[in-house]
Amino acid sequence: MGKKQNRKNTIARNDGFLWILPAFIFLVAVVYYSIFYTFNLSTVEWNGLDPVRINVGLGNYERVFRDWIFYRTLRNTAVFFAVTFVVQNILGFLFAAILHTDVKIPTVYKCLVFIPTILPPATMAPVFRLLFSPQGMLQSIFSSLNLGITVDWLAKPASAMIILMAVTVWQYTGMSFILYFAAMSQIDKEMMEAARLDGIGNIGMLIRIVWPTCLGTTVSLAMLGVIGALKTFDIPYLITGGGPNRATEFLGTYIYRQGIRQSNLGYAAALSVILLVLAVGGALLMSRVNKKS
Amino acid sequence: MKKICIFALILMMVLGTIAGCGGSGGGTPAPGDVSPAPGDSSSASGDSSSPTSGEVVWWGWTPGSPANEEFIAEFNKEYPDIQVTWKQTTIDAYDAALRPVLASGDGVDAFQVSAGSANGGIQVFGSQAVDLTDAVIEALGADYHDKLSEDSITTMLVGGELKGLGVGTVYSGNLWINQDIFDRYGLDHPTSYEEWLNVVKTLEANGVGGFVQGAGQGAFNIDTFHAIADNVSPGAFTKAARGEIEWSDSSIVRSLELWKALFDDGIMQAGALGLAQYPEANNLFMSQQYAMVMMGSWYTSNALPGTMQTAIEAASSTDAPFTMIPIPFPDIAGTGHVGSMFGDLDYATAVSANSANIDAAITFAVWLGTSQTGQQMIANTLNVVPSLKSATPNWDVVELVNPAKQNDSIKEYIENAMKTEDNPRFAAISADMNELLQDVLSGVAGGMLTPEQGANQLANG
Repeated sequence: MGKKQNRKNTIARNDGFLWILPAFIFLVAVVYYSIFYTFNLSTVEWNGLDPVRINVGLGNYERVFRDWIFYRTLRNTAVFFAVTFVVQNILGFLFAAILHTDVKIPTVYKCLVFIPTILPPATMAPVFRLLFSPQGMLQSIFSSLNLGITVDWLAKPASAMIILMAVTVWQYTGMSFILYFAAMSQIDKEMMEAARLDGIGNIGMLIRIVWPTCLGTTVSLAMLGVIGALKTFDIPYLITGGGPNRATEFLGTYIYRQGIRQSNLGYAAALSVILLVLAVGGALLMSRVNKKS
Repeated sequence: MKKICIFALILMMVLGTIAGCGGSGGGTPAPGDVSPAPGDSSSASGDSSSPTSGEVVWWGWTPGSPANEEFIAEFNKEYPDIQVTWKQTTIDAYDAALRPVLASGDGVDAFQVSAGSANGGIQVFGSQAVDLTDAVIEALGADYHDKLSEDSITTMLVGGELKGLGVGTVYSGNLWINQDIFDRYGLDHPTSYEEWLNVVKTLEANGVGGFVQGAGQGAFNIDTFHAIADNVSPGAFTKAARGEIEWSDSSIVRSLELWKALFDDGIMQAGALGLAQYPEANNLFMSQQYAMVMMGSWYTSNALPGTMQTAIEAASSTDAPFTMIPIPFPDIAGTGHVGSMFGDLDYATAVSANSANIDAAITFAVWLGTSQTGQQMIANTLNVVPSLKSATPNWDVVELVNPAKQNDSIKEYIENAMKTEDNPRFAAISADMNELLQDVLSGVAGGMLTPEQGANQLANG
């Protein structure tokens, strides 16, 4: 009986394997081959077109760890993640909570909060450049009000980073909102009614009942946030170009600059491998936190 | 299972290292060895064209439509059976777009290349181009060196082979001003730091911007810095680029101090570091919101009414074309060394070694770079100074916006530019040095680095 059962299980497992085989082959052929090839590329010095490639072993990695711009990108990524994650999720959580109350025309509010998430950064970047330009809309408003403020914020390292974070929060708060909204819909109503009977107020309900219940969602968002922050490219590339003086340079923009603009494909590949390791490490860390929570 | 996965990943990476180090001769070569790139093909994939017929796809970034289509139309008068299709990308996207197309060997027959560290750099893309030495000898004779500008040959040599045929050279080192605005407020051209500052203040007091630079687009900062360095000590920039003096030399430090002063004293407009030269600073000048801009000889074409009208409309302005003239960079160091210009071959035409239309593409490249007809057209667009020495703008044909005020100054400007000797714009600096210069200049301008620190950063490479 036991042997028969084992054989059945083996057959079932094999059948299952056949079902995932096409996707598995696709994944290995496209994703894992690319990772492998990138690692291979990271051990050479090559401009992408030369007939010969110079093998440098792990020399590109040594160079990465001596490169001040690499450390600047890590610092920028950490700051960027910390700020955008906190602000985005607080806003998303609050919007979701508000929309679980008896607001009128909730669909309109949902659309308003979510629409920025679906707008392509390439479309919005020129708008933000214009908005924050010394000749732009904000400056016109400040000038007409005689406020004496010069909108040269993209020219200053700290304010340029704040603008990028603000744009990111504006764009992705909708994602946090949707996930929190869904998580809140799953909260047991009886638990909330019991809390009400215990005399808990609205704020207390949010902090002591709703927030802990949504912790899994927060961890998932953190995981997405870490990976997203490490992959950040379009918004800084299009709005600040990584400047001024690398103040808004991220790993993604630096990899592009090295690989495409400076034709250092091997070095860019080494940076990409490090990015992969950091992203996988971050995801594993968040996954462990999730399990503990 | 997890352990197996981790082991597999590590194994994959170790194998990757070994494979990456794998040379062509077997075994595990040491770092420094070379190996052939995958998919490398150094010969053509079979030419289906002839010197008088074929289909040529021509990639590039400059000068753009409609000028390039006009060149093609003129070319087709001589070679009606060669169909040329112009494929344009932005200057920033060019390298990224061209690289995979060249690597695939399909979809590009002729392509624009440039000297040094600019986009389309010949040192990077030259490996995919055929040697054009025989073609140019056939077109101009063995003494072709005497008929073409030196830049158009020397900067296109890779391993002794001529990988591109120069079309024209661009020069920088001067300012362009809106003479109409200057006349409106009775202003003289600034010749010193104080005069420049006074002109800017006077214009601002009248609600007009003074000088505009898109200092957020670093390549143009290098032009301004180069002009300052040549003002401080003639040739300082090129000497530093070639290692003849240290980047930490006092002349470079002094140049960085003056560069910083432009921002601190308000000659550069507020927020300059957050602005791009193209399209933003260009649009601000073209829409007459600012009266001065740092641009080079490529800007001369805007003195033509049609070209300027297009540029004005692109800047969202409805104004009529205005009088734009070049003036020397002011003597801001007070040394008396003024009028320095520096230049590189702006672009050349290379022919893809993997093209299926090599013969037709060579005919086109040779026509554009060496024929009197092609080079005369180039000269008359005023976009670049042609490579063929005998081609100069035909002033009887070229009509400027305001001939009375522009003709003499622009003629003199082009003549001066052509006299420039051994003062390259980007050709003497590598792509890495180019990036470093951009970092240092924006760092010094923004106050993140002192001029001394900036110079040391440049010196330490």
